Amino acid sequence: MKGVLAAVVLIAAFAVACDRGAGGGPGITVVIAEYSKDHTRGFWQALAEQYTKQGGPKVDLRIIDWNSIDQQVTTMIQNNQPPDVLNLNSFSSYARDGLLYPAEDVLSPNTREDFLEAFARGGQYQGKLYGLPILSSARAFFYNRDLFAKAGLEAPPKTWNDFVQHAKKLQALGGGVIGYAMPLGPEEAQAEWAIWMWNGGGDWKQADAWAINSDANVRTLTFLADLANRQRVTQVNPGKTNRTDGAFQLFKDGKVGMVIGFSPLAKQLDAEGKVKYGVAEMPTTLGKPTTLGVEDYLMAFKKKDNRDAVKKFLDLYYQPDNITKWITAEGFLPVTKSGLERMRSNAALAPYLDALPNARLAPTTDPAWDRVKLDVQQNIGAAVQPGGNPKGVLDQLQRNAVAAAGAR
Amino acid sequence: MRAEAPAPARAVKGRRWEALLWLGPSLALIAGVVFYPAVALVHASLGRYSITGVYQGSVGADNYVRLLQQPALSTVLTNTVVWVGAVVAVTVVVSLALAQLLNQPFPGRALVRWALIVPWAASLIMTSKLFVWIYDYYFGALNRLLTSAGVLARPVDWLGDDATVMGAMIAVGIFVSLPFTTYVVLAGLASIPGEVYEAARVDGASRWATYRRLTLPLLKPALLVAVVLNVIYVFNSFPIVWTLNDRNPGFAHDTMVTFMYKIAFKSALRDVGLAAALGVVNVLLILVAVLAYLRTVRWDDGEAAASGRA
Amino acid sequence: MRRAALTAAGWALACVVLAPYAVMLLTALKPDAELRTTPPRLLPVLWRPENFLDVLGDPDFASWLRVSLVVATASTAIVVLAAAPAAYYTARHRFPGRTAFLVVVLVTQMFSPTALVVGLYRQFFELDLVNTYAALILTNAAFNLAFAIWILRAFFASIPREIEEAAAVDGCGRAGALLRVVLPLSLPGLVTAVIFAFIAAWNEYIVALTLMTAPERKPLTVGITTYVTAYVQHWNHLFAASVLAIVPVVVLFALIERHLVGGLTAGSVK
Repeated sequence: MKGVLAAVVLIAAFAVACDRGAGGGPGITVVIAEYSKDHTRGFWQALAEQYTKQGGPKVDLRIIDWNSIDQQVTTMIQNNQPPDVLNLNSFSSYARDGLLYPAEDVLSPNTREDFLEAFARGGQYQGKLYGLPILSSARAFFYNRDLFAKAGLEAPPKTWNDFVQHAKKLQALGGGVIGYAMPLGPEEAQAEWAIWMWNGGGDWKQADAWAINSDANVRTLTFLADLANRQRVTQVNPGKTNRTDGAFQLFKDGKVGMVIGFSPLAKQLDAEGKVKYGVAEMPTTLGKPTTLGVEDYLMAFKKKDNRDAVKKFLDLYYQPDNITKWITAEGFLPVTKSGLERMRSNAALAPYLDALPNARLAPTTDPAWDRVKLDVQQNIGAAVQPGGNPKGVLDQLQRNAVAAAGAR
Repeated sequence: MRAEAPAPARAVKGRRWEALLWLGPSLALIAGVVFYPAVALVHASLGRYSITGVYQGSVGADNYVRLLQQPALSTVLTNTVVWVGAVVAVTVVVSLALAQLLNQPFPGRALVRWALIVPWAASLIMTSKLFVWIYDYYFGALNRLLTSAGVLARPVDWLGDDATVMGAMIAVGIFVSLPFTTYVVLAGLASIPGEVYEAARVDGASRWATYRRLTLPLLKPALLVAVVLNVIYVFNSFPIVWTLNDRNPGFAHDTMVTFMYKIAFKSALRDVGLAAALGVVNVLLILVAVLAYLRTVRWDDGEAAASGRA
Repeated sequence: MRRAALTAAGWALACVVLAPYAVMLLTALKPDAELRTTPPRLLPVLWRPENFLDVLGDPDFASWLRVSLVVATASTAIVVLAAAPAAYYTARHRFPGRTAFLVVVLVTQMFSPTALVVGLYRQFFELDLVNTYAALILTNAAFNLAFAIWILRAFFASIPREIEEAAAVDGCGRAGALLRVVLPLSLPGLVTAVIFAFIAAWNEYIVALTLMTAPERKPLTVGITTYVTAYVQHWNHLFAASVLAIVPVVVLFALIERHLVGGLTAGSVK
């Protein structure tokens, strides 16, 4: 007993006394979001080692999960210790606060020219490129072939009327089958909403002003609310369902006829082999269907004397071999022309690569978008709940957007 | 023995230095670890921050004013009172019963005691994620169990239905607080000398009377610790509410702590200064609540009596 | 008869308390494809105990386990070493500032770690202690001080002075009385404080997340969240790791819980 006690005290003393911090000395801090346990760390660790071997300083690599990354990054910045390189899904607020290097300072001209047009534009703030595209994804319309066959449906729907008919027939199959799984919970509600909004003829903005509560948008949100509450072709409480642990899980279980998904979902479906699915274009009220493209960004923070180190690191990542290797491993889509070339040969990615030209991006170049996005995530679900008020919700979002645009 | 007679001045001074020696390590820990961040929190509550976290200057009490203007504040405050009140009250009452049970010898008691430690041993986050799993409308074990047993006609969306979310969270809160509270009470029971019960039995007191008039008062110090600390932990408890309420939009079921986190990072407000102000208000709230409780219960008298027991 | 009723109640309690964790265990034994099925099935069709081997064999897991063990053990030791003297002194003596001290200790508990984490990070960064065991150990110790002091104080206070003085007079001296009489009698309180401090440190999340960014310094609570990300979800591995993480705590508890049944022996006050 006494021996155990002594040992414990020794451990305590040892741990406290001998451990030293990791600070001090030149080096760069690289913060990457964790896309997967299996691939993210492996790739970036290897990249960091290659970088140091090629003469760069030490890399303090931090892989942070998506749930915590905003909190961690804010903490770092609050303490005046921003990272040198950051991977995140938004950038314009950091650009507006003057924290970032523009691309011309930290990227070689070759790399800059290699970006696909739409993605490069999506990373601009006041005309300059600050948010360097790192990877992209495009949403596609997934449907369950077996359930379609059972319901006597031959092809995925092209118009909204078709869509509602399809959903009703699927729901009528009974046995717990859900026509359409609609995730408008706080996780990524803005993505689901954006796709329907665009295909309904509306948009976030008109000219340069926010137009969240335009007539077209109110019609679209009412349409979605009806799907849930009048036609009853969705899962329970769609305003409180998230994608990854809600709608996608149901689809993976084979109980959902239609859902809006993306390439990582396809990967998981292929791996499990439980569901025979098809990928198609979005049903739309317009001539051509639109889908959502999402890009994530790399950004370089302005710190004393780090420009060259950061430039070297970014150039290393953007070498076509490196960037393509990682994007492919994670199951995402390219952001560079050279990457697109290399990934064309991958048949599984064809539907998404084809959708890329028609993909629209969120208004990420506007710093107010960071607030609007969160507002939409937190509040739009209420509109499709029983007793929800689509027009009221959109009006409130519009008011907040205008206020956010005016304020800091 | 009675409380000490007033001591001469010199003895009191000597007492002060002596006290410093005994209290030193604790004071050092608190000063070293908690003091600076607490000051930083207050400082942050007086400042304005950009959405990125960049400090933009002091704004005095502006954040506190804006906090009071938040439309969701009254809902969140009510939720918090209900959350803390229900969890602590039910936990303490049930723990008293459980401690009595586990204080009696019966075959397998050790194993039951070990079983009770599990909800405490498992991290709150893991238990919360587990219950999200169990409460799921489509895939959860609870709906399955209740519909097969005929208790429910249709499944219930425990975490999505506004009527049931609070109850679902409170159930988990009670579940994870029971082990800790039961063991505090058990430790309290263990310190009650056997003669006390002997004497009561000789006097012919009924079991319930013995419990009410002897055991409960003797458990007062343990109960005090249990209630005060439970109130603090449950108030500050983040993982349960955060994880179980994750899929609900708005702030309808948040408590003060998750509201604070959402203000800082997840809502359109994204305002670290405002969140810090709420952090400070939270501390003041619990402080007032705990001090009120301590005063009501007259914690100091209770123990003078206990230590004076002949 | 009474025995039987007690036993039944006891075992019923154990079942209720363990039921959710049985679900955790069974889910941990399922292959990926069976994780979510409708209607939900409790037992796996295909049993996959390899999930546990996957986790045990994961070098990351071993590292997280090591960090958690060091941090929890060390911080528990420090808590007890700091709290015991303070608790004893405040239990036995009245002195100016006693109430203030106890309230200050309590107030430190009232700050939500979520609110303090920013300041903690900055403080440890200035001291160049980010990513060190020391930072997390000291933080956990400081945050668990209140419970230890308060419960130890209650225990020390409930031991009649006479016993202590009797022992001192009998030839132990004050220190001896402390070590040989007071501490053993307050063992239930000590054990509770140790269990509490250990579990609190073992399960702490937000401070560990912020202070320990290097992979080899991440404790279990932070590490196992990597099994489920937004894009790839291995709930079975997550639950397997959670089950494994419970084991050391239960072991510790099993070793010391009999001391919870302590108490004043009859006749000691004669």
